[in-house]
Amino acid sequence: MVTKIRLTGIAAVAVIWCASIMMAFAEDTTPLNTDVIMAGAASADDDAAQSRSRFRALDEDVQSLKKDVLDLNRDLFLLEEELLFPANSQVAFFISMDVGEYFALDSVNLKIDGKDVTNYLYTDREAGALIRGGVHRVHMENLRVGEHELIAVFTGKGPHSRDYRRGATMSFNKGIGAKYVELEITDRMQKQQPEFVIKEWE
Amino acid sequence: MKGLRNSLLGALLGIMTASSLAASGLAGRSAPDFALKSASGENLRLSEYRGNVVMINFWATWCGPCRQEMPLLDDLYNRYQRVGFSLLGVNIDDDSRRAMRMIEELGVSFPVLFDADKEVSKLYQVEAMPVTVLLDREGTVRHVHHGYKPGYEEQYLTEIRSLLRE
Repeated sequence: MVTKIRLTGIAAVAVIWCASIMMAFAEDTTPLNTDVIMAGAASADDDAAQSRSRFRALDEDVQSLKKDVLDLNRDLFLLEEELLFPANSQVAFFISMDVGEYFALDSVNLKIDGKDVTNYLYTDREAGALIRGGVHRVHMENLRVGEHELIAVFTGKGPHSRDYRRGATMSFNKGIGAKYVELEITDRMQKQQPEFVIKEWE
Repeated sequence: MKGLRNSLLGALLGIMTASSLAASGLAGRSAPDFALKSASGENLRLSEYRGNVVMINFWATWCGPCRQEMPLLDDLYNRYQRVGFSLLGVNIDDDSRRAMRMIEELGVSFPVLFDADKEVSKLYQVEAMPVTVLLDREGTVRHVHHGYKPGYEEQYLTEIRSLLRE
């Protein structure tokens, strides 16, 4: 009986001792597990930051490449223009419009030295842009040095929405260097009629 | 089985697209710009439709298949107009009054332009009637169809839907 009680006591002590060891172990290991999780989270953050910075670098590369392409495109355009229209023989013709109350532009036909060079149809959007102050380069031509004649025929709707067709003629002297000619449509308030003027840019 | 059917359909679609592209030297190139007078009196310029899927249909009053095709094209136009699809009918008759009569008779609502000088038809290498050209939103020629046979409208529908989705 005494032996039985002693054995039970020993077993109880052993259980308590085991439990205390396990608790102590648990206290020791808990901070260790947190450290592992925190270290894992930190490495995930590092990875995300790295991939973000890599992505940003890639995005910057793409943007810079896009800019290079645009620059190249512009250079090619300018080069093509210089080759096709050398500055010395180049004559550019521009259309501008002031107010446009007495004339709704439909088309412009240009003849240089008796030869048709362009017939440009204006959409409502283009005519609107001219009225808002836009200037349209309607034609470019290579001309030899000397006297030339320009005939411009404007068609559209005149006062009271009537069909309207008017011509304007100008002789100009093409010297050395580029020349710019402006065909201006203005409103003549006194006569309530449109006016078509051709002038050279100095 | 389903996979095989899908790949066969894909291959067939590819062959159809390739044949329609091969039919014209224009395919894959930027569509030549033009401006023409329309039946409503306005001047319309192709480049102003950039951003839309555009169908250009060349037709003439003396062309029987054109008469058959135009109401079907008008249906497509009315169905997809609000989602960025434009249709420009280019008439090549010498006398635009005949074209006006036919438009009224058929009751089509898409814009019709007059190319009496045939300048635009030359630009688009129009050698048969009708010719239907499909452009993507960037203004690149993607499909060219010469002539019309019943059933072509199904192909147009597939191509329009695919271009709208791009």
